[in-house]
Amino acid sequence: MRSESARVTTRAEARYRIEAPNSQPRAVKVIALDAASEPVVKRLAQLPWNRASFLTASAFACPPADGQAFSMTGWLSDLAGRTKDLVDEIASADLVVMIATAGENARAGSLIGDACAARRVMTTGLVLGTAAASEAALSQTLGQLRPHSMMLVAAGDEDYIEDMLVALRA
Amino acid sequence: MLRKEQNDLLTQTGPGTPMGQLFRCYWVPALLADELPENECPPVRVKLLAERLLAFRDSEGRYGLIDEFCAHRGVSLWFGRNEESGLRCPYHGWKYDVTGQCIEVPSEPEESGFCRKIKLKSYPLVERGGVLWTYMGPPEKQPPLPEWEFATVPADHSFISKRLQECNWLQAMEGGIDSSHVSFLHRGELNRDPLFKGSKGNQYNLTDAKPYFEVVESAGGLLVGARRNAENGKYYWRITQWVMPSFTMIPPRADHPVHGHFWIPIDDENCWAWSFDYCATKPLTTEQLQAMHDGKGVHVKYVPGTFRPLANKDNDYLVDRAAQKAGKTFSGVEGISMQDASLQESMGPVVDRSKENLVSTDNGIIMARHRLLRAVKALTEKGIMPPGVDPAHQRVRSASMVLAQDQPFKDAARDALLVQPNVAHVSV
Repeated sequence: MRSESARVTTRAEARYRIEAPNSQPRAVKVIALDAASEPVVKRLAQLPWNRASFLTASAFACPPADGQAFSMTGWLSDLAGRTKDLVDEIASADLVVMIATAGENARAGSLIGDACAARRVMTTGLVLGTAAASEAALSQTLGQLRPHSMMLVAAGDEDYIEDMLVALRA
Repeated sequence: MLRKEQNDLLTQTGPGTPMGQLFRCYWVPALLADELPENECPPVRVKLLAERLLAFRDSEGRYGLIDEFCAHRGVSLWFGRNEESGLRCPYHGWKYDVTGQCIEVPSEPEESGFCRKIKLKSYPLVERGGVLWTYMGPPEKQPPLPEWEFATVPADHSFISKRLQECNWLQAMEGGIDSSHVSFLHRGELNRDPLFKGSKGNQYNLTDAKPYFEVVESAGGLLVGARRNAENGKYYWRITQWVMPSFTMIPPRADHPVHGHFWIPIDDENCWAWSFDYCATKPLTTEQLQAMHDGKGVHVKYVPGTFRPLANKDNDYLVDRAAQKAGKTFSGVEGISMQDASLQESMGPVVDRSKENLVSTDNGIIMARHRLLRAVKALTEKGIMPPGVDPAHQRVRSASMVLAQDQPFKDAARDALLVQPNVAHVSV
């Protein structure tokens, strides 16, 4: 007599796998951490997604205007420039993806990462432009994100973000 | 998840398929050198990339890998007579040399030259490191011979085995770059298996089941770093190498031999899982070799006379629910390779990736698929050779190490991740 395992692992049996959905869309927040990453995130935002939303924290990477102290107000915004509240955004997220460009300032990642850790939200850091950046620049950006990313990826081409978000059903 | 057309593209490797074209850019392991142990020994059937082939070693010791079937009436040359520098079909005596060239058709006048018009498809077959490698692509694009370290160290430094895995190559290979399953599926083996136990790294593995991951593209594929907490605020890193299309090297544990795999498609529903163990600087010990022959570590016990694992789907992998309940094994299946293979085969012959729900820690798998898709596109549209063909991409190592928190593994482990003659692997 054939074993259960032999019987059920045929191509014919594979047809009987239940077709019903086995998950609900996850809320994924994709945040550009610097000005160089912002156009990439804007392009991604034009594509159809399940529950992905796109934000930018690039203002945090810029030095304050002459003589001005840095203001926390308005540092996180949606792509239309509307200010967003970090805590609210994190609270409604299943996954936060932080996009940085190698050699750019990714320090916003520490604030976002801390907020995610406090809320037990999964974080992924994604560093782009690795092919063009120097080793030192890439290491610096990876170093900024490493303490705050449960998954850290250095990607050679920006197409990877789209593939990754699709793979994650964002 | 992957869309159906992407899944089909990555999992179908027969002649004329894009992924088949990619695999045909590389030297791939075809059979163990021991399977053709002497001149004029019996031929061996070989199915690779959905092509039925026959390997033989002629009277002069030359290896051949040719179409399995006689050009005359299509009988299998596996029944052939290996004699006087060729393989003779037992049906009507047609004879072929190692290049597939017909050299005798007894029924035709020799002067007619008819036999010169008959030639079977053939591929080069060369021995390196105890493995017979073949290249199934266009002859004019044949790359240099493979330079994987396990195949270039002295013969007594390495041990190589293969086993049949009854599922598509991709779901098997993806297990090799999925570091997060080790703390679960293999937890029972880490402190028990003679080729794993005794490593300090095992304790880090077992005490920190939520590793952080780092995926970095390399010239030939990917580096997948998994970091767990070590003492004094340091991190224990395990860095896996994946080189395209299907080579993985697992990070070492203590001074045990280093192991890894190739997953080579037989057809779209079966693959060969090749497993190697080696030491860069010293011969394997008698005890280590015995353990490997006994199916420990990444090797398996076989159904006698075959390369089919003794624990297989026909016997439900000899699952032992009492051992599972007692915590001796996590899944009830004994042995690291069959723990992996049983679950990978349970997905079905070709898993439907449109139904999967990947999570962030699966980025190694997502990136590998991304790179494969990108390479297939570049090859088929622009003729660009894929990563991993260049021997420089093959001269790599895995590593395990404890680093300070601010030390990036890709920098701190730069030398450790490259082959260094007469230097041992970096290992914890």
